[in-house]
Amino acid sequence: MNKWYPEVFNEFKVVSVFDLLLEYIQEGRIQLDKSVHTMPVSYHDPCNYGRKSLKAFGKAYFEEGRAITKACCDDFRELNPNRNGAYCCGAGGGAWAMPFSEERVYYGRIKARQIVESGAHLLIAPCHNCRDQIMKSLIKEYDLNLEVKYIWELVADSLIMPNKQ
Amino acid sequence: MMYEFKVSDLAEEFGVHRNTIRNWINAGTLPAKEGPGRKYLMKFQDYQKLCEKFGREPHISPANNVSAKALGALEVSDVAPLEITGKKSEIAIDPSWADACLTCGTCASACPISGVDGLDPRKIVRMAALGMDEELVASNWPWKCTMCAKCEESCPANIQIIALMRKIRGKRARAKVPGPIHKGVAMCLERGNNLGIPKEDFVFLCEDLGQELAEDCCPGFKTPIDVHGARVLVTVNSKEPFGEPDDMKWWWKIFYAAGESFTISSENWEGVNWGLFSGDDEAMKTVVGRIVDNMRRLNCKVLLLPE
Repeated sequence: MNKWYPEVFNEFKVVSVFDLLLEYIQEGRIQLDKSVHTMPVSYHDPCNYGRKSLKAFGKAYFEEGRAITKACCDDFRELNPNRNGAYCCGAGGGAWAMPFSEERVYYGRIKARQIVESGAHLLIAPCHNCRDQIMKSLIKEYDLNLEVKYIWELVADSLIMPNKQ
Repeated sequence: MMYEFKVSDLAEEFGVHRNTIRNWINAGTLPAKEGPGRKYLMKFQDYQKLCEKFGREPHISPANNVSAKALGALEVSDVAPLEITGKKSEIAIDPSWADACLTCGTCASACPISGVDGLDPRKIVRMAALGMDEELVASNWPWKCTMCAKCEESCPANIQIIALMRKIRGKRARAKVPGPIHKGVAMCLERGNNLGIPKEDFVFLCEDLGQELAEDCCPGFKTPIDVHGARVLVTVNSKEPFGEPDDMKWWWKIFYAAGESFTISSENWEGVNWGLFSGDDEAMKTVVGRIVDNMRRLNCKVLLLPE
């Protein structure tokens, strides 16, 4: 959009899931209950929102996802390395859909090891692709004791619903 | 492996005149060609054959600790040497990479799948610099790579490895793009989403799910389809309505709690642009353009990307 339709940025705002969720949290438009997720939780940096966004748009979403996760959970742990040095889940760039599943699972071995080392029982993945790879493939392949949620799933599950009729 | 020799040395080795060697070369009996510095090049195999023919031992052995016998077996798998033809690569983005890349291997050690099937970012950069376009386009390396950019982030020479990788993907004949990526792109161009979900089905599904959500925890909720003037336009990853429809409710629940005014378009609602992965800029542009059209049509202020 930056490249082909630069004029639209004067017409409307383009936001990522992080921008919108943080807006709701910071403006107090939603209330979150931290007692829903008391387990140790960690956060996976998707390549496209971190490293690659930094390169393509000069802006990486590293801290936003952590801020949202921490607004829902108290016991937060990092995967190492993280942020710009984070390891890919193994299914990016369309690899989730490619006919090279052995390679994809092998690729994910580093991610699986990082998750085990973090001690987390809940992993937050802000990307569809990463979530599918970790939840539907790596957990089985590497026998991980882990639950995976989208970042908006975490927020939705932590919501204190307002009384509306 | 190539064997490099001077005519005079070879003549001396075989006890013949320099002219004899030259005649052999000219007649093709000795398959050699001119190399740099008044030297000639021939395949080591051919040198071995020549020695055999005249009952001589080769005066060098390519590997000291390998017997000539073992070597004979190895020669079969020998790779033909690459000839530099000067043909310009259509893939190499910047010719200076041939100098800038020192093949230091930082990229390869950062890459989680380097070594798998011979994949190595250095090799790919070098092959592009050498104009080995066909080999690169035919290889499955760029498709096993997830374009995670660990290599590029670690590269001390700042080589744009991912742009290169995507360019190689883009050169593959569309019918030969592995997996459903290109089929999804074609489907999206034709029907407005990667999985070809018809408009009626999508709208019905969304309304149905909205009712469930209303009964479950959001009294009064109704899925807003094509609502003009809503603040946020939400794009959708087609795998959700296709295979995991309940997953769409998480966002809707958040919107409900936040009192947000949002809407989903009944057409061209796809938020996942597989042109990015298949290396197809034209398709990518069309799909982005449709989202822009939706924003204008529904007069929304904020566009939410699906992930």
